[in-house]
Amino acid sequence: MTMTDQPESVPVETGSGRVLVLLDGSRLSLAALEAAADIAALRGHEILGVFVEEVNLLRSSGFDFALEIGASSGAARPMDSAMLEMRMRSLAEQARRSLQRAVASRGLRQALKLCRGRVIEEVLSLAGPEDLVVMGRVGWSAAPGSRLGSTARGLMRQAPGDVLLWAELQRRPGRGVVVLLNDEQGANHRALAVGIEQARRHRQPLTVLVRSRGEDGQEVVKAIEDQLIARGAGARVRLIPRASAAEVARILRQEGPAELVVSRQCSVFDEQGADQLLVELNLPVTVTP
Amino acid sequence: MTVPAPLNIDQVYHRCPPEKLDFETTETLEDLELPCGQERVLRALEFGASMEGRGFNLFVLGPSGAGKHELVERFLGKHASEKEVPPDWCHVYNFKNADRPKALRFPAAQGREFRKDMSDFTDELRTAIPATFESEEYQSRIQELQEEMAKRQHQGLFDIQEEANRNNIAMITTPAGFTFAPMRDGEVIDPEEYKKFSDEEKQLVESKVEELQKKLQQTIQQIPRLRKEVRERVHALNEEMVQITLGGPMGELREKWSHLPDVVAHLDAVREDVVEHAEAFQDGESGPPAGLLVRYKVNLLVDNAETQGAPVIYEDLPNHQHLTGQIEHRARQGTLYTDFTLIKGGAMHRASGGYLIIDSRRVLTQPMAWESLKRILFSGEIRIESLERLYGLVSTTSLQPEPIPVSVKVVLLGDRMLYYLLSHYDPDFLDLFKVEADFEDDLDREDGCYVLYARMIASMARGVKARPLTRDGVARLIEHASRLASDQRKLTAHDRVLRDLLSEADHWARQDGAELITDEYIQQAIDEREYRASRIRERSMEQITRGIVKIATGGEEVGQVNGLSVLRLGASMFGQPSRITATARPGKGQVVDIEREAKLGGPIHSKAVMILSRFLASRYAGDGELSLSASLAFEQSYGGVEGDSASVAETCVLLSAIAGVPLKQALAVTGSMNQHGEVQAVGGVNEKIEGFFNVCRDSGDLGSQGVLLPESNVEHLMLRKDVRDAMGEGRFTIYPISDINEAIELLTGMEAGVADENGDYPEGSFNRKVQDRLAAFAKVGKKRDEDNDNGEGGKNDDD
Repeated sequence: MTMTDQPESVPVETGSGRVLVLLDGSRLSLAALEAAADIAALRGHEILGVFVEEVNLLRSSGFDFALEIGASSGAARPMDSAMLEMRMRSLAEQARRSLQRAVASRGLRQALKLCRGRVIEEVLSLAGPEDLVVMGRVGWSAAPGSRLGSTARGLMRQAPGDVLLWAELQRRPGRGVVVLLNDEQGANHRALAVGIEQARRHRQPLTVLVRSRGEDGQEVVKAIEDQLIARGAGARVRLIPRASAAEVARILRQEGPAELVVSRQCSVFDEQGADQLLVELNLPVTVTP
Repeated sequence: MTVPAPLNIDQVYHRCPPEKLDFETTETLEDLELPCGQERVLRALEFGASMEGRGFNLFVLGPSGAGKHELVERFLGKHASEKEVPPDWCHVYNFKNADRPKALRFPAAQGREFRKDMSDFTDELRTAIPATFESEEYQSRIQELQEEMAKRQHQGLFDIQEEANRNNIAMITTPAGFTFAPMRDGEVIDPEEYKKFSDEEKQLVESKVEELQKKLQQTIQQIPRLRKEVRERVHALNEEMVQITLGGPMGELREKWSHLPDVVAHLDAVREDVVEHAEAFQDGESGPPAGLLVRYKVNLLVDNAETQGAPVIYEDLPNHQHLTGQIEHRARQGTLYTDFTLIKGGAMHRASGGYLIIDSRRVLTQPMAWESLKRILFSGEIRIESLERLYGLVSTTSLQPEPIPVSVKVVLLGDRMLYYLLSHYDPDFLDLFKVEADFEDDLDREDGCYVLYARMIASMARGVKARPLTRDGVARLIEHASRLASDQRKLTAHDRVLRDLLSEADHWARQDGAELITDEYIQQAIDEREYRASRIRERSMEQITRGIVKIATGGEEVGQVNGLSVLRLGASMFGQPSRITATARPGKGQVVDIEREAKLGGPIHSKAVMILSRFLASRYAGDGELSLSASLAFEQSYGGVEGDSASVAETCVLLSAIAGVPLKQALAVTGSMNQHGEVQAVGGVNEKIEGFFNVCRDSGDLGSQGVLLPESNVEHLMLRKDVRDAMGEGRFTIYPISDINEAIELLTGMEAGVADENGDYPEGSFNRKVQDRLAAFAKVGKKRDEDNDNGEGGKNDDD
């Protein structure tokens, strides 16, 4: 049972939430902005751009010996505060323009929050439980090969609401939205709701993978199917064993989804290498509280 | 001297003896495979076709319509069927040098197979290689590779970050890279606070930062090398996968074609090329680019799969391209491009190992075709080059295909004139065309030939899908063949005329609803042909009967005789009489040829008149001087006169003018004469006689007329039936003459007379009259000379 071509009139959860998008001027943050704008348009939410001048960075430019090592060339050049300030201003300006451009065509309300401090703290102070935080998996000049930056790691675990970690589009994009759950009922509700919404947004089939210890798996499946029916959505529900994170990654790769939704409370995060799961699956991931 | 006896009707027509034709209709006769009487040509063909040496190509010469092409094709077809089938030739892509496509040789019929094998192989590439790239195995291996590389890249940076953290130094990302700064409790120390650090602490921090910066620089600078390594390893993996995928089909192909080392080498080159371009096959949906797959195609240039024996090719438009092949171009977005698949073979390719028949006139009229043909025959290989490139007219990219060795026997067909001109003017010609096969125009008409000739007619009739001929029909055709050869002892070998006649006779038979072609239909065909060509002849005849052109067919006249001439118009000939007149008076021994003076006489005619004037002098003047001023003219002739066939008539008319003896106008004369008065053979006697006969018949008083012709011409006579009938009834007579005296006696009715030992002719003879008259002229001349010497003489007209 898959869910495709659901009419858009199916009620989506609207509320007081906002879509927070982290803008740092990097390429991936611009891609994340587009995704955020789409979601905001669908939900009818306000979009709030957040541009944080990282205080550590500003401080580091204040040392006499400070040098900037080019991420691609490896060339070293001196760094000074004035120049960095100027660069930050121009990036902020660029973020503003991008935000305006992104909302202009969609008729959304937008605001840009410029602040100085530590990114995670600033975001946590801005975001509420209803807010969706959208950000690139990595920021500027993330080390080549890195697929999950420190900010993403931090927010994924601490944000009060959902966090969408945007990834670069793959060479061979997958198909479908997969929601990864465990058989405890706790946080499934929210993850499932997000999964249904994403599947509708992309007009793609939805698959629900349930990590189960075995005995009561069928009941969980039944409960999930009831939930899906209640929300007027359809999905394929599949039980998977409670194996290691690497095994889950393998199963997910088989599914080949375009997007993943997972709850922070999912037992997979308790295990070693849960981060590695996200690193290996280079695709947009929504982490729900 | 006795007057020669007139010819009887059997002498003027050689009938076909019915007993020689032992059949009712030609239906029962077997086909004649090779024409009779052409032994010379057949032996030349046999020799030329089997002779292996270089340059022993053939030139078959004979008049047009002699059936050269048909005979050669039939002969070579039979000859070639016993020879082995020549190899196939293919052009394939040259992976080392794309502009020079390679040529591959295959035993006959295997070229086609190889083309199919390569086409199947290409199809397999299209599906099998993308499938390999789609496979789990490949995907997971490539992922492992990428993960490993990503890890290696990341690990370097991660290690530096760890080291920095251990030393309380933060590695911070900037918009364009990284920087290091001292930190405490996870936060970068405020620069102001840092200033308060002791110098030692600062030095420690700064030296560590410097060290880290250097390490980071090194690590980052290694990234391109790592990336390159990834690319190389991915490429190696791709190659490995493609090698494995190709292993099966390529192995089969190599095994199958292991008997041809060049083909195996090409297969290896294909495999290397596929492996090299492995990535291009990765996209399973749109497939590899067409330009890539085209390279594995096979251009089958020469396909002898269905050839039986050696090929016999007739190229009816032997231009440069058709002979040597060509490289075509396709227009793509306004540009012309080509590749090895657009190479088209020519007739030389197709005929290689066999025979190529070409019409020599056509090959000579096509630009560069003759030169190209010679170049191929000299070099023994075909090098395809376009005409426009040879002339340097275009500069589009083109190919230089590997030359293909060729061993072809070229058979040129042409008329004799071309053969002799080429022999004379083209120094290469005799090097390349050493075998001359000369067609006979006529066949000997002997007892043994009738059956063969009848069989030839039977084959011909079947060939043109005509009805069978009756025995009479064949006999009539044989007789007509003699007439066409203008010889009682010959038969024409001219294929086209006989064939046309058969077709026409068949047409008349069909119109009558007849089942067989009888002699009547043959005769009808002959008559119809003659009638169709008779407009000019009839106009000319009408002028004579109406008296516009004056020809007397009765009575006697001095200084006037009927000569006979022949006119050839297109394919038809007809004869008609011409009035020749002469005048004679004293003079200085000259005979004025009015035709020559008026520039209407040809050189042979002039020569004949000179001969007759020397004949006169030597016969009648003896040791004395010939005092004569004579003139000769063809009356009412405006189109020029050529040939010596009127010299007997001219002699007679001149003698008549000198002697004042009238000549019988009922007789016409033809024949040439030498200085001793002997009559020699001439051409066109049948037409001449029939022409005079027509005039006599149309003038309405046919009864006592006749023709004098050289005795040596008698065996050339094949006269029309109405002429023969008139002869049988005694109304028309033909006299064979061998000496001028016989002509004189027949024309004058007087004895010619033979000179005695003093050179004097008997009293009362014609020659005596001539002699006396010339003597009188001499006397007059002498007197006039004396008068002139005495200063009394008047002016002499002839001076």
